[in-house]
Amino acid sequence: VAKTSLTSPPWPEVKLPDPVEEAKYHAEVVRKVNGLISAGEYGRLFAVVHFASKQWKITSEDLIMMDNVLEAECGDRIRMEKVLLVGADDFTLIGRPLLGKDLVRVEATVIEKTESWPKVNVRFWRRHNFQRKKIIANPQTVLRINTIEIYPCLS
Amino acid sequence: MVVLSAARWVRSRLSDRFWRVQEVLKHARHFRGRKNRCYRLAVRSVRRAFVRSTKARREKKRFLRELWITRIEAASLEHGLKYPAFISNLLKSQVELNRKVLADLAIYEPKTFKSLAALAQRRRQEGFLAALGDGKEPEGIFSRIVHHH
Repeated sequence: VAKTSLTSPPWPEVKLPDPVEEAKYHAEVVRKVNGLISAGEYGRLFAVVHFASKQWKITSEDLIMMDNVLEAECGDRIRMEKVLLVGADDFTLIGRPLLGKDLVRVEATVIEKTESWPKVNVRFWRRHNFQRKKIIANPQTVLRINTIEIYPCLS
Repeated sequence: MVVLSAARWVRSRLSDRFWRVQEVLKHARHFRGRKNRCYRLAVRSVRRAFVRSTKARREKKRFLRELWITRIEAASLEHGLKYPAFISNLLKSQVELNRKVLADLAIYEPKTFKSLAALAQRRRQEGFLAALGDGKEPEGIFSRIVHHH
C-alpha cells in the first residue's frame, strides 16, 4: 500500500529499548558505580541538600548563611539528612526525591550566630502625609560544611 | 513674687540638630550632585531610596526566578529539550530540585545536568507511549462500523 500523509501519525515514533537488555545494563552500571565508591576513586563530592526550607548546592569546606535561628550552639556538629542529589566527577546519585540516610552523610558545624545588617523598611505615600519607617535586623546563622561521605550500598 | 509659668523668653530649642541632620545625610553620601550635601534635597532622595529598596526586595525574588528559568531553558535546549518538557518530566520522575539549584548545576556541573536532561527525555517518551496505548481497541465494542440492514 502506498504511503500517504495519513498512514503514520504525525508525531515521531518512539521506541524504548528492550527491558531485559536494559536491566542488564542497569545492573552493570550499578556494579561499576559501587566499585568506584568502595575503591574511593572520586574527587570532590558535591551535594544538593534541603535545609531551612531552601535547597543548597554544597561541597566540603564551604560556608552557608541562613536567614534564621538554629537551635544549636556555636561549635555543634550537625548532620543534614535531606539530601536530594550527590555527585562527583564521574557519577551522580539522584534521589527520588531524597537519598537514603545509609547512603550519604553530610556533616556541618555551626560557626556564627549574628544579626544581619539593619535593613530599612520605609513606606511612603506622597501627598497623603503617610510615612512609616522600620529597621529590621534578621538573625543569621553561618554553617561550615565539613564533610560529605558516601557509602557503597547501592542496589 | 510668685511665678506660675516660665518666662516668655525661655524657649525650648534643639541642641542636637547637627546629629539629626547627619543621620539623614550619612545615607546620602554616595549620591550624585547636591543631594549628597544639602539636607533639604537629601531628605527627599533618601526617602525615595529607602522606599525603592523596600519594593525592590520583593521584586528581587521574582527577578531571580525568571533568571533561573532562562538559564535552565538555555541549558536544556543545548540538550534538545524545551523548558516545560524538562521541568514537567523531572517532577513526574519525583526529582524535586528547585530552579535555583538546577541553574547552578547547569552552570557548574554540566555532566550532571546532561544526565538530568536524559532522565527527563526518557520519562517523556515513556509518557508518550503510555498515552498512545497498546494500539488495541477498547473492550466492550464489537464493531466500529455500523451496518444498516
